[in-house]
Amino acid sequence: MTREEFFLGNGAIALGLVEAGCQVVTSYPGTPSSEILPEVTRLVKSEGLNTYVEWSTNEKVALDTAFAASVSGKRAACCMKQVGLNVAADSLMSAAYLGTIGGLVIISCDDPGPHSSQTEQDTRLMARLAKVPVLDPSNPKEAREMAKLALDISEEFRVPVILRPAIRVCHARQSLSWGPLKTNDQKAVFEKDPARWAATPRFRYILHGELNQKLGKIGQKFEGLSNFNFHDMASAKKYPLGIIAGGVPYAVVRDIFSEEDRKDIPVLKLGTPYPFPERMAQEFMSRCGKVLVIEETDAVIEYFLRDREKVLGRLSGHVPAEGELVPEVVYGLINNVLKELDLEPFPESGDREAVELVKRLELPIRRPTLCPGCPHRAAFFAIRKASPKAIFTSDIGCYTLGLNLGAVDTCLDMGAGITIASGFYQAFCQDGVRKPIVATIGDSTFFHSGTVGLLSAVYNDARFILVILDNHITAMTGMQPTPALGIRADGSKGKAIPLERLVAGCGVDFIEVVDPYDVKEMTALVKKAAGYVEDPDGGIAVIIASHPCIIAYRDEAILERRKVTITEDCVECDFCIDRFECPALYKDEELGRTTINRVLCTECGVCLDVCPKGAIVEA
Amino acid sequence: MKHVNFVLSGLGGQGILFLTKVLAQAALEKGHNVMGAETHGMAQRGGSVVSHLRLGDVESSLVRTGAAHFLLALEENEAYRNIPFLAKGGRIYANASPASFPREEARSYLERGRILCRSVEAGEIATELGGPMSSNLALLGFFSAFEDDPLTHDDLRGTIDRVSPERFRDLNVAAFDAGLKKGMGKG
Repeated sequence: MTREEFFLGNGAIALGLVEAGCQVVTSYPGTPSSEILPEVTRLVKSEGLNTYVEWSTNEKVALDTAFAASVSGKRAACCMKQVGLNVAADSLMSAAYLGTIGGLVIISCDDPGPHSSQTEQDTRLMARLAKVPVLDPSNPKEAREMAKLALDISEEFRVPVILRPAIRVCHARQSLSWGPLKTNDQKAVFEKDPARWAATPRFRYILHGELNQKLGKIGQKFEGLSNFNFHDMASAKKYPLGIIAGGVPYAVVRDIFSEEDRKDIPVLKLGTPYPFPERMAQEFMSRCGKVLVIEETDAVIEYFLRDREKVLGRLSGHVPAEGELVPEVVYGLINNVLKELDLEPFPESGDREAVELVKRLELPIRRPTLCPGCPHRAAFFAIRKASPKAIFTSDIGCYTLGLNLGAVDTCLDMGAGITIASGFYQAFCQDGVRKPIVATIGDSTFFHSGTVGLLSAVYNDARFILVILDNHITAMTGMQPTPALGIRADGSKGKAIPLERLVAGCGVDFIEVVDPYDVKEMTALVKKAAGYVEDPDGGIAVIIASHPCIIAYRDEAILERRKVTITEDCVECDFCIDRFECPALYKDEELGRTTINRVLCTECGVCLDVCPKGAIVEA
Repeated sequence: MKHVNFVLSGLGGQGILFLTKVLAQAALEKGHNVMGAETHGMAQRGGSVVSHLRLGDVESSLVRTGAAHFLLALEENEAYRNIPFLAKGGRIYANASPASFPREEARSYLERGRILCRSVEAGEIATELGGPMSSNLALLGFFSAFEDDPLTHDDLRGTIDRVSPERFRDLNVAAFDAGLKKGMGKG
C-alpha cells in the first residue's frame, strides 16, 4: 500500500536508503544531519525491516563501521554533518583507495549560513580531495532518489560515494508517496585479500591507479544521467547568458525564473559535480556568451569550467563569497548580472525599504540561550563564582551558550575544551606562569573526542579543572542517547559506560560527581579542585556535574519544585540577568525591578543562590 | 494565485514547528503540493525561529522577501522582524495586543503595501484555558476566522485533532476554537 507523507528532507534520505536495501546505517548526530538515523529507525520499525542502526561514538567510527559492512558485501550508509566528515577524513581518504563491495554512501550535510556549525565548508571539495563521487540534491525528493543512485554507483564501480545535502534539503519538508518496503537479505561474506584490504604503500599505488580509472568511467556515466544533469536550452540557439547551478541554489533559480516568467536564460542543472560532467558543461557553455555559476557553499563547478573568459561566479565577485544563497540574494545577484550584460532586468524588489524599517524598529536581538531550568546554567554560575579569573575553555554543544554567562572563552572543535586547556597550560607554564583554567565539555562530546585529549593532558602533566557537563543526553542535536545511558539507536539495551570509569581509565585521580543544582556544593567543589590542581602532587581534577536535561527528562529534572519571587530588596544591579541569564528573569519596566516570567519559569529554584542582596526568595 | 507562501515566526520553544506541521498536513490532505523549511539546532534554544511553508508547484522551500501571502507571528517583535517577507497585499496575524499592534513607526509602510495586520492576545487565551503552550493554536484559530482559502477552520481543526499528541489534544482543539471565536467577534 502506498501512502502520502510530508517528509523532512532527512526523512526522504532515510526513505531512499531503506528503499535501496541499505542494511547498515551508522551516524553521529550533528545539525543538519541528526534526523536521518532516527528516520531510518522509524521506517525500519514500522515496516519490520532488518536494517542495523547505530549511534557511533564519532564520525570516524561511524564510517569505519559502515565501510566494514560494505566490505562484507552489504549496502551501508553513514550520516554526519559536514564538520563531522573532517573527523572521518582519515577513514574517507583511505576507503576511496580500497574501494567497496556492497554499496557505501557517506551522507555529509552542509550548513551554508552557517546556522548551526563552526564553518561553511563545502563537502564537495572534500569529495574532490578524497577522489570520491559526490551527488548534490536540490530538494528532499531528489535526495531520496540520489541516496539510491549513490548506493548503485558505489556498488557498480566499487567506490564510496558521498551524498551532500545542504541544510535546506535536510530541513525542508516535501510531500512524498512511499511504500511498501522490503528487507534486503544479503548475507555478510569476507573474502580475504590482504593486497587490497591491508594494502601497503606499494599496493596503494596500484589502488590509486584503479581509483583514477573508476573516476573516468563514473564521469562518463554522469554525462548521461539526464535525471540529475539537464538543461532547458532550445536546440541550436545562442544565448548571451546561461546559468549553471546545483544543489539548493538550482531550486531557487528555477523558482525565480518561473515566478518572473523568464524563458530567455537557459539553466544547466548539475546534480553530480564530481567527477565533473565536462562534455555536458562545455557544450552548454559553447552556446552562451557568459555563464553565471550559482552553487553552495564554495566554488567547485566554477573551478571545473575551462573557458575562464566566460565564467561569472564567486571568483569574479558576482556571487557572495560567504553566507547562504537565500532566494533574495540569488534574485539580487542574477539581476546585477542581467544589468551588467544589458539584458532585461527583473523588477526591483521592494525589500530594501522593509529592511530599513526593521532596522529602525531596533528590535531586540534574540540570541540563543540555555533553557530555563538548564543544569548547565547552574554549573557555569558555580564555576565562575568559584574561579572568576580562570580561562574558560569549552566545547561544542548546548553549553557553548555558557558564552552568555561569561563562562566560555573558547570553542574550537569537538573535544577542544580539553585540548585547548592543555595547550594553554603548557604555553603559560613555559613562562613559569600558573594560570587557572577551567575546561567544560558535554557528556556526548566527551565520548566523541574528549578521552584522547584527556589522555594526552594527563600524560604530559597538564593542570586544569575539567567539568564534564553530564545531562545524560546529546541535547543540542535533538536528544540522542550517549554511551553512558546504555540505550542504543533502536531503543534496545546496550552496555552502559559510566563516565567515572572512563575518566579513571584516562589516568585521572581526582574525580568527583556533583549535582550542579546545588550551587553552593558545586562552588565549594570547584574550589577544592583548584587546590588539587595547584598541589605539586596533584594533577588534573575532573568534576562530573550530573543533572538530567530539562527538555529530555521533563518529569525527572526537577524533583522538588521551588516557586521563587523577588522582593523589594532588589536594587536592580542586573547581576542575576547578566551572570545567571535565565530567560525567566526579566526587568519589569512598570514595576521598576527584576521579576519572574511565570510562563517560562520551571521552578528549579537554582536562582535562590544567585542574588547578592538575597532578593530572590521562596514564594 | 499560482502558489501560497506562509512565513511562521516566533521564539524557540513556542511551537512554530508544530504550527507548521498542522498547516502542512491540512494542506496535504486537501491535495496541495507542499514544501516547507524549518529551523533546527542551536537557533531553537530561545532564539528567533522561522518556518516557511509553500503550497503549490514550487522547487525551493524558502520564501523570497516580498513574496509571502501570510505571516503568522507568535511574538510581536518576531512579526516586525519578518515584515520584509510580506508581498504587497499580504496579511499579518500576530500574537500581540490589538491596542498597540502594529507600532506607529511601521504603519505607513504597511499601509502603502496594503499589508493588513490583525492581532490577538493568543498567549492569554491559551493561558486562560490552562495551557500557555497552546497559544500557537489559538493564533491559528484566530487566523482561521478570517481566512478560509486555501484551508477552512474545519480542515485545520480536523488536522489538529489528528496530529496532536494525546495529552495535548483537547487543550489544542480548545485553544484553536477559542482563537476562532475571538476572531469571529464572539470571544
